[in-house]
Parts: sequence; C-alpha cells; structure tokens
Amino acid sequence: MSFFGFDKAHHNPSGIGFAQAHNPFAGLSQEDDGDALEFEDTYDGLGDQLEETNDAFNDDTFGDSAGPVAANSGPDFDFFGQTAKVSNAIEEEHFLYNRQQPPARVAQTATQSSYQSYNQQQTAPYGYSSQPQASSSKPSGYSTGYEKYADLQADADLWGLAPKKQPQAPAASSPVPNVSSVPASRKVLSLEEVEAQMRAQSKTAHQQQQHVAASPAPQIHAPPQMQYIDPAIQFAQPAQPHFSAPVDHHSPHVPVTILQRPQSKHAPSPQPPQPSQSPAVQHQQHQRQQSSAHIHPTQILHNPNRLSGDGARIGINQQPTAPIPGPFPAHPGHRHQGSFARQAGVITHPSQLAQLSEEEKAVYMEQEAKRAKRNHKIFLMSRDNGIMTPQDKSFVTRIQLQQLVAATGNPNEHGTDESLVEDFYYQVHTQIQGGQRQHPSQPLNNFAQTYLFQTGNRQGGMRRHNRGPENHMQRMEQQVQRAVEAAKNKPKNKQLVIEGSLGKISFSNAKTPKPLLNIKRNDSANDTNRPSSAHRPITGGDRKSELKSIESIYSTLMKIEDHDRVMPPPPANDADTEAIDNFVAWGNDAQALNQKLWTSLRVHDHPEPGYLHPFITFLSYSKGKKAMVRIFRHLTQEQRTTILTLVVVNLDNLDVIRNAQVTPAAFQLNAAMRETVDLFSNAVMSVLFTFLNELELDLVTGILGLVCTRNVDVIAKSRIGATLLTMILSRAEIIKQQNNGSNEQAWHDWESTYTRFFNLIEHTLPHMFPGPVTSDEDVYVWQLLAALGIGAGPDQQQRLVLAVKDRVMDTVALSKTLPPDLGAQRLQNVNLFMRSIGLDVELLQ
Amino acid sequence: MLFFSFFKTLIDHEVTVELKNDIRIRGVLKSVDQYLNIKLDNIQVVDELQYPHLSAVKNVFIRGSVVRYVHLPSGSVDVNLLEDATRREAANQAGKGK
Repeated sequence: MSFFGFDKAHHNPSGIGFAQAHNPFAGLSQEDDGDALEFEDTYDGLGDQLEETNDAFNDDTFGDSAGPVAANSGPDFDFFGQTAKVSNAIEEEHFLYNRQQPPARVAQTATQSSYQSYNQQQTAPYGYSSQPQASSSKPSGYSTGYEKYADLQADADLWGLAPKKQPQAPAASSPVPNVSSVPASRKVLSLEEVEAQMRAQSKTAHQQQQHVAASPAPQIHAPPQMQYIDPAIQFAQPAQPHFSAPVDHHSPHVPVTILQRPQSKHAPSPQPPQPSQSPAVQHQQHQRQQSSAHIHPTQILHNPNRLSGDGARIGINQQPTAPIPGPFPAHPGHRHQGSFARQAGVITHPSQLAQLSEEEKAVYMEQEAKRAKRNHKIFLMSRDNGIMTPQDKSFVTRIQLQQLVAATGNPNEHGTDESLVEDFYYQVHTQIQGGQRQHPSQPLNNFAQTYLFQTGNRQGGMRRHNRGPENHMQRMEQQVQRAVEAAKNKPKNKQLVIEGSLGKISFSNAKTPKPLLNIKRNDSANDTNRPSSAHRPITGGDRKSELKSIESIYSTLMKIEDHDRVMPPPPANDADTEAIDNFVAWGNDAQALNQKLWTSLRVHDHPEPGYLHPFITFLSYSKGKKAMVRIFRHLTQEQRTTILTLVVVNLDNLDVIRNAQVTPAAFQLNAAMRETVDLFSNAVMSVLFTFLNELELDLVTGILGLVCTRNVDVIAKSRIGATLLTMILSRAEIIKQQNNGSNEQAWHDWESTYTRFFNLIEHTLPHMFPGPVTSDEDVYVWQLLAALGIGAGPDQQQRLVLAVKDRVMDTVALSKTLPPDLGAQRLQNVNLFMRSIGLDVELLQ
Repeated sequence: MLFFSFFKTLIDHEVTVELKNDIRIRGVLKSVDQYLNIKLDNIQVVDELQYPHLSAVKNVFIRGSVVRYVHLPSGSVDVNLLEDATRREAANQAGKGK
C-alpha cells in the first residue's frame, strides 16, 4: 500500500504522521485474515520522511472512512470519492465549530479554545490554506462523525470481530486513525475491556501527547473542538491527571447516562490559555475522547458533541462571527473567511487596509461595524440553539408519541368500536356532520403521523444520508408499537393500595386525568331508601322503576345499533361457508337482541284493571316518546302492527289525549302539556303515520273499528287524537283511490265501520275546535273534517255541514276582518273541508 | 372522556367561558384537551369595562381547573346523540367499576 510510490523501507511505527488519534484496533486485520495484506508488510515506512507540514490534509485526501477500504486499495485509490463521501460531515462539523466558537471569542475569555487557536496559529505558517481546520475537525471523534460512518457498517464486517483482539496498537500505524471509533462504538465493550484499553493506551498516548506538546509545529492531536466543547468535564477535574477519574463518566453498563449531558456552551473558563498544556490533562481529554467513542451506543443524550440540526443551520448564520479581523486575519481555521473576504473586497490583512483610500476605509469600517453588530445580535439570539441535538428531540418526540398512543390508543384502532367507546360523541358527531372527514379516525391518525413525519423530515433535511432518518422512523415506530403492546399486556394497575391504609390512591392517566374518587360499585346496593325528589305518582309501578326500564330499552337499542354496524357482508356464494356461518351467527344475535327489546317494551303485558298498560306509561315519558323512532326501526312488521294496535286501543288513556282536551271554551293547554303534545306528534305520530301509510285496507278498517270501541269523544277533542283519526281516514281514502274496489268485502267492512264511527263522532263535531273562532289553531280540525267529508255519503255530508255550519260561517266572517293574508289563510283552512264535500267558501260570501 | 369528546365537537364554535373569578370570556373555541384546558381565539370579555386589562388580549389559554361554566351554542349540540353518549359513558363507568 504505497501511495505515491514511496520507498517502503523505512517505517517508523511510532510516528504520528497519518495518525491524529490513537487507534486501539489498528492492525487487527493482521490476525484476522491471513490472506489480507498485512500492514507491516506493506507499509513503506515512509511516514517519517513525509513532509509533515501538510499532514493535516491527509484526511481530506483520503477521507476518514477510507480506513478499511484503504487496506485493499491500490494506487488507484479514489481520492475524490472518498473525500466527497464525507463532505457533508465536514460542512456540518464546521458549522458546529463556528457555532460553538463565538461565546469564547465574544467574551474574550481564554478558554481551552485559545489552545485550539494556538494550535491553528501554529499550523498557519505552514499552510495558508483554508483546509486544515476542516480536516482537523473531521476526524476529531465527534459523534456526528460517527453518524456519518454508520453507512460503513455494512462493509466493515471484519470489524465486528475486532474488539476481542489486542486493543492496543502502535500509534499511527493506521493510515486513517479515527476509524477506530467506528468498530469500537459499534461493539459495546464491557467496563473491564474499556478500562484495559485505557490503561494500555495511556502509555502510548502519553508519549504522543508529550510529543505534541513539545513540537513547535504540532499535529493537532487531540481534536481541538473536543477540548473546547467539553470544558465542563475537563475543568471539573483539572488536577487529576489519572485515568481512573473519568471512568465513571462513561460506564457502558449504566444506561442512566441518558440525561447526563454536560452544559457545553456556557462554561466560560477563567483558565488562562494553555499553549503548553500539561500532558496529563491532555491524557484525560484523550481518554475521554476514546471512551466516549466506546460507549456511544448506550448513551442517548449524553454526548454533547453531536452536531445538531439547528446547530448546523445556525452555524451558517454564524459563520461571519468568526472572522473578526485580528492579528491573524488569514486565519487558516476558517474556510468561511472567504465569504467575509468577498464582501469586504478581499481584505485579509491589516496591511491591506492601509493601502485603501480613506473613503474605502470608511466604507469598510462601516461594513465591519454593521457586521459585528449583526453578529452579536445573532449570537445573542442563538445562544440556546442546539441545546437539544436531533437525537434529544426525537427521544422526546418518542416519549410524547408513546404517551399519545397510550392516551388515545393505537392509531390503527381508531374508527373501531374501541375508540367509539371512549370518544363516542365526537366520532359520531363528526360522522353525522360529515363533510371534511371521510373517516372518523382521520384526525388522530393525522395527528400521530404529523409528528412522525415531522421528525423524519427534520432529520432528513439535516443529515443528508439516506438511511439515518429512515432507521430512526422505523425505530420510533417499533418503539411505539412495543410500548402499545406492553401497555396492552400489562394488567392495568390503576390504583395503589398501601397496606394498612384505609383508602386507595388512584393514578391518573390521560383518559381519566383526575380520578379523585374511587367508589366501588355495589351491585346489591339498595338505594330505595333514598328520597326521590321528583316523585310523581303515576299509576302502575313507581317512576323510578319505569325510568329504569326505559333506560334498559335504550341500552338494548344501542346494542342493536352496534350490532347492526358489524353486520357481515352477505355471503357471496354458497361455497363460502365461513361467511355463511358468520352471517347466520349475526342473524341469530340480532334475533336475540330483537327479542330482548320486545320483551323490555312489555307490549304483551296485561295490566291489572285500573292500571295503565306499561307501554302506554312508557310513552308518557319524553325519552320513551323519543325512543319510538329507533324502536320502530328494529322491529318486524308484525311487531309494529302490534304496537300500533296497542296505541290505538289505549288512545283515550294516552296522557297527550286525556290530559290535553280542548273545547271552544277552554282551549289553552299549559306550557308543559303543549310541549309534550308537540313532542308526541313529532316523535310518535310521525312514526305511526309512516307505518300507517303502508297498511292495507283490512288493517285500517280494523284500527278504525278499535277506535270505535274507545271513547271517541275524548279522542276527537284532542289534537293528537284528531290527527290520528285524520291519518286513518285519509289512508283509507288513498287506498280507495289507488285500487278501485278490487276487494268488495273489504270495502263493505270499511263502509260499515265508517258509518259506525261517523255516528259516534257526530255529536263531538261542533266541540272539537280549540278555542273560539279567533284562535288560529284549528287547522287540524278542518283536516279531520275534510277526511270525514271525503268518505262520507250524501246524507253524512249533510249532517257534517249541519254540525259545523256555525263555525264555518263565523270563520268566514272573521276572515273578512283580518288582514288579507291571514284571512286568506283561514278561509283556505275552511275550504279544505268545504271542497271535500263538494262546496267552496266562495259560495258563502 | 365524554366532556372531552363533547367539547371537541364545539371547536370553531363561539362559546362563552365563565371563570371561577367571574370573568366571562366569549371567543371561538380553538382547542381543548383531556384536562379540559381551553384555547380561545378572538376573545371578548363580556363585562369589558370591569376588566380593562383584558381588552387588548386577543386569545387565551384557560386552564381547565379555573373554568366554572362553558356556555354552549345550543344549536351545535346534538341532544339525542349526547344522551346516548352519556348512556354509553355511564355503562362504561359501571363496567369499569365492577
């Protein structure tokens, strides 16, 4: 592996020409693979003969990921490719560096960074290039570098075997030293191994450090950023040169290191510049660097050196902060000096400034002042940028996601019954309101996904390598999934019972934020002793039990509705036995539920004489009335007929009829009764009306016959009763018009029933009207009269006219005194009846 | 979760929140969480003269624990559905209590 055709004869293994960090695993491949080229055999040993001045470029040239590759590469090594691979990392490191730098500069405090700049300044005379800084930052053992190397993992199978081998290697024996951190960090070492390595390394490292310190033109050995960034740790133990001390910082066995991130940025140090830093301290730094590389995988938030996405972005803004013109204007450490130079007309040295004209100078100074001001502002604003690394953020995001999932359940389960149980109102309401959301689960799903994607994007945008964010996403998803699984499997321990204590301590969670009371329900609890406040005597059973039975009807209804929702698709063909079974099973369940509903309605009960039928009682409660629509939906035709019959049989017992009698003298119902009547006509009558409109003539006849057995006078004197009679009569009339007398017998029955009914109602006719003529609520009466009139024979029509003649005449007279539109309305109502018997109000005027 | 579920449906409707310190704030409900913390937008204090310090405030986040009443727009409440939801909630609670 002779790169520029150098002579292989002289190689000094202890030289640090290529090496900038000690590699404990270098040379391992010798033992691993006999066939592979052996480093000692092939290395030309020209390391010492190289002009070391420009060694800082080496990693730019070879790329620090080239380690394992380089072992197999010949003279046709792809320099550009290797460099390009890590160009991103270089940039990122640079941004980070710039971001970290300003505090020290602005504060003009001499921190460790002065040592760094010292190093750079030392380097400067040897290479006036912008590169050295980048190169030194790249292999510096930043964990960000490690991120970059993740892609190498697949290629580096041989490294997987590495750690069990001799961890100590001759310093600088590897051409790309920093690669060592890759396998080391991949494999989690035991504490003993790490310590052993450290002890072994200490010797060589010590030598190296001394060498560095002594050298007037030092290779930047321990990466300067490292030294600067971690002042907190360094200064915590400045007087302890021994390696035993830092061990507790990085025990790989302790996962609690998660949040041990040192406050890196704001650690101003009173320490004077240390160009001649004691080797011991440097050991420590070196040690830390090594160890941090080893333990990396077990630390989630520990490492402060990672480049954060924000940091990278801010770094861009902050670039200009760095080049404040000073005694070393051509600072080699800052590539971005270029940008400044471009703006300022390429002034790189004070001497250049002197050559400028006064005017130019003034402009330059002004710009400079502006820039400095702006930089300071940016610095102030960005002080806290990058406090959280992307890893930190995603860690927090994951925790939040877990909580979210724990709170709302698995996003995949939304829209199922489980979510309906917890979030019924919202889910159904949004379904009913419809429109924007196709699926009730959407909002929450989106919610969760938004977060996932956000994290992914942020990562992806910041790190441009492809696998990273994806892996992260997957990991997060997996973790969330695991958390959900665990939460599911774990028996829920919702309360804590401390031994000997009288009560229980309840834990809150997102669903029940404050479970303060933990009342154990007692099934046998007998609460009849409690005085019921609104105890209204209603015949037949007490109010409470009636309300309870209504509630049980409702719960049955809800079960039926839930059951309807899970109706399996009808089997496509006979072969699909499973589908058929499902369908049959569903049908059986539905049948059972229907039966349960039917029994709880108690339609077939026979109450003691003097008591109301339970179903009629049921209808006297407003929630009973409201339930009718839903009940009817789930009943069979036969059951519906039974209910209609039952209602008709008990018509004069219905509270809305019996308690809502109207006469021309006293028509005004009290407000509560009006409300009840309205509710009844909306909730019950509409259902009955719809059902009645599907009945055949014989049933209609039967129903009218039933009405005749009741107190027709009472029925007709109420709005509900009159409306129901209108419905029955008009239905018969419609049937008559549809099929003209196909069934003579049925029509004959109808005629006779009608006659009977007419005779019964005739005496009531003049008294049906609600209130005096001036009241305008008599529309329904005119409707009933019209329905009567259509079916009536000539004789009956005569009697009809005689019965209501006064009312007709009064209304016509009144309508003349009313405003035209109101009068017309009244006349129209009357005309409804008049036309049914072949007359018209016009004839009366 | 019934109240949470219910208030979620009122998002983007105008409500009046009465606080335990008698301040009544009318505004558009922007969000609510399981603690019934409330975020209101475009707020207006009902008795503005009495609370001049709030006249410049445009939106508020109200901690759920300080709310006394929320006056709802009755038109946007589905009473039947709410009754059913209440029944389910009660059945749920009963099921859990056992």
